[in-house]
Amino acid sequence: MQDTKEVQTEFKPKILAFCCNWCAYAGADLAGVSRFQMPTDVRVIRVMCSGRVPPELIIRALANGLDGVMILGCHPGECHYSEGNYLTRRRAHVLKRLLSYIGIEPERFQLRWVSAAEGAKFSAVVKETTDKITALGPNRWVDKR
Amino acid sequence: MKATSEEVQTSVKKLFEDGSIGHFIGYETGSDSLHVTPCFLKSGQAASRLVWNPLCANNLSKYLLDFKNVEGKVGIMVKGCDSRSVVELLKENQIDRDKVFIVGVPCSGIVDREKLLEVLGISPGEVVAVEDDGDAFLVTIKGGTQRVDKEKVLRGECLVCKYPTPLVYDVLLGEAVSSLPWVGDDYSLIKEQEALSSEEKALHWNREFSQCIRCYACRNICPVCTCTECIFDKKAPRWISKANDVSENLVYHLVRAFHVAGRCIDCGECERACPMNIPLRSLNKKVEKDLLELFDYTAGIDVEQQPPLTTYQLGDLDEFL
Repeated sequence: MQDTKEVQTEFKPKILAFCCNWCAYAGADLAGVSRFQMPTDVRVIRVMCSGRVPPELIIRALANGLDGVMILGCHPGECHYSEGNYLTRRRAHVLKRLLSYIGIEPERFQLRWVSAAEGAKFSAVVKETTDKITALGPNRWVDKR
Repeated sequence: MKATSEEVQTSVKKLFEDGSIGHFIGYETGSDSLHVTPCFLKSGQAASRLVWNPLCANNLSKYLLDFKNVEGKVGIMVKGCDSRSVVELLKENQIDRDKVFIVGVPCSGIVDREKLLEVLGISPGEVVAVEDDGDAFLVTIKGGTQRVDKEKVLRGECLVCKYPTPLVYDVLLGEAVSSLPWVGDDYSLIKEQEALSSEEKALHWNREFSQCIRCYACRNICPVCTCTECIFDKKAPRWISKANDVSENLVYHLVRAFHVAGRCIDCGECERACPMNIPLRSLNKKVEKDLLELFDYTAGIDVEQQPPLTTYQLGDLDEFL
């Protein structure tokens, strides 16, 4: 529970984004190619589908010291595998409530849809999430640094 | 009328005699008269060991998994909550309905031993018997009988129990209990917790999780934890380190709560098994509440019902903003 990060002058959050191969990852690519400005605090992990991200990965990431985690997938109805994002949507809503129940602020876990054509939305989501988590400060659940 | 131990004994004896069952899982008196342990019978001769009283806390349905490959049917004694975990096991094809003979006993509350000893201010050896008497328990102690209000000494899950009568059974002993008078809002404690600030919640759960010794008793006793290889036992990838560290405990408890999401029927065995008295039911109950609110789902009611997290609807809540 100790905040050893306080000694730093400015808090830079560590944020993880699970991007689906078919939409969100391409969206991130487009954001880069289009030269949209965005914060650099987000680390991207490419997965084949947002439905491939089980709650264990989110919980593991938060316990390992990440300050925020995002799942970015295709819009509903546009999943490459037809229904992966619908399933992850259900799980994410339950997990978000469970995380908030034990004191992890709901803002630290985000589920957003970004299509391959939405480079602008990707950069907006990254910016918004980074701002929110910077305002929240470090993840208080981690006691190893 | 409530079922008595004698009633259970005679009916089990009869079941063995007419060949309906080859094994029976029930309760017998344990090391002292305040403890009841599971009892496994192979013939009707020892049926006189069986008991049924307000101390029969164990959910026996988990033992059905150990009897998957035996000849003949396995008889099992279930209370209301236990029958719901049997429904969950049937739903997941863990057991075969044709190989199980379910003896249902309507239950009107199980005693929390620790609460009872605290209320009466006595030691375990002093209790001779505990009997059900409407809205109170009759506790026979050496040198007299005392009436103790149920609300003071019931187990937490019995205080919010909505299904006192088994939902699935082959025979029902005693009269069905439709509802329990003390049951009110079953999520009032969860709502209190939800209303706290994030700091308060984190402080509370940090304190609770830091006590965890990761003995995995809660997982081992859970009737719906049926994986042959548990994620926490896996070596590669290793999901959880052996370090005694509150964030590892956090991973364990959250993943456990999530893995039983949609299957947990709130039998309270995890909390009863926990040597550190961590309020595990609180986590499970929270998930149960969300599943009810989000997807209108209650576990352990209907074998045909699709588990909520393996299906979806187009109109589910969308991305969070």
